[in-house]
Amino acid sequence: MKYVLLLVLLYTVVPAHAQQDCKLNINVLVVEKHTGQPLFPVVVHIDELNATYETNEKGRVELGSICPGKYNFHFHSDGYEHYAEQVTITSSTELKFKLSHIEGVLDEVTIADAREQTLLQAKDGMDSKQIAANSGKSLGDMLQAVNGVTVISNGATIAKPVIHGMHSNRIVMLNNGVRQEDQQWGGEHAPNIDPFLANSLEVIKGAASVKYGTDAIGGVILVEPAPLRATQGTDAELNLAGLSNNRMGVASAMVNHNFKKLTPLSIRLQGTYKKGGNYRIPGYWVANTGVEENNYSAAAAWRKQHYGAEVFYSHFNTNLGVYRGSHTGNEADKLAAVNSDTPLVPADFTYELKRPRQHVEHDLGKAKMYLESSLGTWHATYAYQQNFRQEYDVQRVETDRAQLNLTLNTQTFNLNLEHRQIWKLKGEAGFDGIYQENFIQNGDRVFLPNYRSKGAAAYLIERYRAHDWTFEGGLRYDYRWYEAFNPEGSKQQVVRYEYHFNNLSGTFGATKKLSDKWQLSTILSNAWRAPQANELFSAGLHQGAARIELGNKNLQPERSYNLNIESKNTLGKKLSTEISLYTQYIQNYVYLEPGADLLTISGYFKTFNYQQTNAQLSGTDLSAMYNWNAYLKSNFMASFLFARNVTAHDWVILMPADRLSLSTTYTRDISPGLKECYISADAKFVFHQWRIPANFDQVDFPRPPAGYFLADVSVGTTLEAGKQPLYMSLTVMNLFNQKYRDYLDAFRYFINQPGTNVVLRVRVPVSFNNKKSS
Amino acid sequence: MKKIVSIVCSMLIMSVILTACKKTPIDNPQPVQQELITTIRLNVTNSSGFNKSFNYKVLNGFNSSEPGIKLVEDVELLPATEYNVEVTVLNEADTPAQNITDEIISENTEHLFLHQSLPETGAGSIAFSDGNKDDNGAPFNRTVKFTTGAAGDGTLIVTLKHQPTNKNANTPDEAGGETDAQAIFPIYLK
Repeated sequence: MKYVLLLVLLYTVVPAHAQQDCKLNINVLVVEKHTGQPLFPVVVHIDELNATYETNEKGRVELGSICPGKYNFHFHSDGYEHYAEQVTITSSTELKFKLSHIEGVLDEVTIADAREQTLLQAKDGMDSKQIAANSGKSLGDMLQAVNGVTVISNGATIAKPVIHGMHSNRIVMLNNGVRQEDQQWGGEHAPNIDPFLANSLEVIKGAASVKYGTDAIGGVILVEPAPLRATQGTDAELNLAGLSNNRMGVASAMVNHNFKKLTPLSIRLQGTYKKGGNYRIPGYWVANTGVEENNYSAAAAWRKQHYGAEVFYSHFNTNLGVYRGSHTGNEADKLAAVNSDTPLVPADFTYELKRPRQHVEHDLGKAKMYLESSLGTWHATYAYQQNFRQEYDVQRVETDRAQLNLTLNTQTFNLNLEHRQIWKLKGEAGFDGIYQENFIQNGDRVFLPNYRSKGAAAYLIERYRAHDWTFEGGLRYDYRWYEAFNPEGSKQQVVRYEYHFNNLSGTFGATKKLSDKWQLSTILSNAWRAPQANELFSAGLHQGAARIELGNKNLQPERSYNLNIESKNTLGKKLSTEISLYTQYIQNYVYLEPGADLLTISGYFKTFNYQQTNAQLSGTDLSAMYNWNAYLKSNFMASFLFARNVTAHDWVILMPADRLSLSTTYTRDISPGLKECYISADAKFVFHQWRIPANFDQVDFPRPPAGYFLADVSVGTTLEAGKQPLYMSLTVMNLFNQKYRDYLDAFRYFINQPGTNVVLRVRVPVSFNNKKSS
Repeated sequence: MKKIVSIVCSMLIMSVILTACKKTPIDNPQPVQQELITTIRLNVTNSSGFNKSFNYKVLNGFNSSEPGIKLVEDVELLPATEYNVEVTVLNEADTPAQNITDEIISENTEHLFLHQSLPETGAGSIAFSDGNKDDNGAPFNRTVKFTTGAAGDGTLIVTLKHQPTNKNANTPDEAGGETDAQAIFPIYLK
């Protein structure tokens, strides 16, 4: 807190003479080399700004608030040579770039901008700046900055993203272009991805099966690393973070290199280490909630003009504790814990992890090749993933053994052709294959059956772009086969089950530019999801919830039909707004219905059966950005969700409450060595969730917690010592040490959410002179 | 076109190789019920030569959609009499049945037996005393003295708690921790 005051004083004492430096306006014009015709759409990527733009119909991009310096521009456009140029900018100017046409070449989105073209779907995300400002958080927690995304959590250590009320196996995560398969079906199974890998996070809200395959009912999260170096030399970046609440330290480093003697080859090495102890809620330590994580990854790419290949390998390894008091022996134990105002398990601070705890390792290996031919650009991607998950339960007898050793092996293959423009149609077609095995070790806890799954799919997506209209349509056919081996009865005889699912999904969207400042999109999309092994076969105690969940072998696939209308509007220089309205009808929506109480030797448990109904989830995400002046900016976000069980004419249980947030940032350069100093205040208000089903009290106790208000403040600056920048920031989360509980937190029965957390972050990018290049 | 074919083929071969060389037998999973308890047995003796066992047993319950099968023996004792009671804990789902009591004794600092009588006093009640202690001298109560009240009917609840937060508790709620097993015996004092 002292530091905050000190910095605030600095702001008021230091005469702020505004820097004229970073006020340059650059007009970029891109034309055809021979005819001089303006080109649109051209993707313009600027390395130093780490930003991607698209030219308008006049072939222009306007860049404001640019600092003098050297910039590497990359240009991609359908049917034109990929073009890169380094430009030194000293004053406001117009820059003209000429692209030459080549026969039979499509945009190779792979080379400089890692962002694949996605559907015209409601998209939102976080850029590298926002990711850096949230470093040290888990991926799930980080994504809460995106409007319409919330989390389902187990205290402060396990957080999973929820998009428009859907999570776990209704969301697909793409880690570096590969479907992450990490047993994401469990509420306490956080995504096994290192957020430091990400240069951008993109969230596609709403059904998106056509491009991303099955399960993408709620949406898709794309974790995209920065592209590998395209120019010679070496660069590196070091990220450090310290968090006061659980005394956590985080260090992450990345090195990129492009060889001088072997220009097509670029490599990257990256690693992260993170360790934290018990976290603190107002007044108490929370027993056994430490976390340790170490991750590393390596990537290499070989890129020639018209073909290339890349390999990527990442390893994720985490150990995390689960609050001892969240595991209760029966319904009566749970009620006693719920009715206690204080945590029933006392604790001090420690880094030590005891049972119950989890250990997860996720390995991902990927090989990708691309090739430009007369038809278009071909991509072939093969990936192998292994997820190994161990759960250490509380045991009567001392043992080193984990009570659950789950292994999930997944192989995925994708072949994709982005065909060259035919008439005014541009698009892609492809084939997807998946093979998966999930199995336990003999002697493990009875949990869910071993299963095998195979799937194949073919898809086609076409885009038609006219003057101010863009239309897009897509179709996909999926086939999925499952076999499961379920031990049943008192003799635990293995019974084999076989399932076949096949589905057609589609999407259609249109975007109209009503003016330069106003764009309107409408998207109809569809997705499906096959029931998962846990929904079909569960027959055991869910320890974290002290309840017994019973699978249903007759579940049908879920199908979702999604309509999304989005308006993006810039009103003058000061205000811009985004309004998104969505409604999604889900046929055969799988949910848990309370059943009879079950007597065991430990006493009574509530039981829940997997059932299906039809549901309709509708809502809106609103955001507005207002620039008060050159330095002061405000950003307002609101999201509302109405989730109805259509069949029962009732609300759907366990849906995120409505929320509002407002953040205001003041940014100013103070001196040449002290740039982009900012101070920001964020306020978030989450409403009480009153939309609960009529039978709520039979299902759950207590009722959803009260609404809450949270305030965060943050100060940060860029220090420039010579040519070496250093970014640092200090953030105070939950400034007022607010006691609150969140409806989607599994620990809400037992304990409050974390108290104040002071986070210090330092980021040092290092650029080496290329003389030492090998 | 040749390049494309070669790329796709090489990938296909790679995936086949990887699939072929990682063969795990997954069609015969053999999970086990962890540390299963099925039975709480009271061995009741007294100086007058009384010697009987009473069982409370629940089979199933977990890992099946069928409700547990409960077998309870009525506890018939004389009113206003002292008895020495020893609790044993068994897993009778395995053959031969496993006696888990020794395990619990070896972990006695982490466990607590609780005895409750309904009604607490008067006809059909039982008073408890002289519960044995754990290695730290805190209550463990695996062996305990019953003093029966006046003639009548009542209920006896025996609870085994794991990692209780309060070793001096008299009720499961006060004790905290996790319920490992709970037996509810009908009591007939006549």
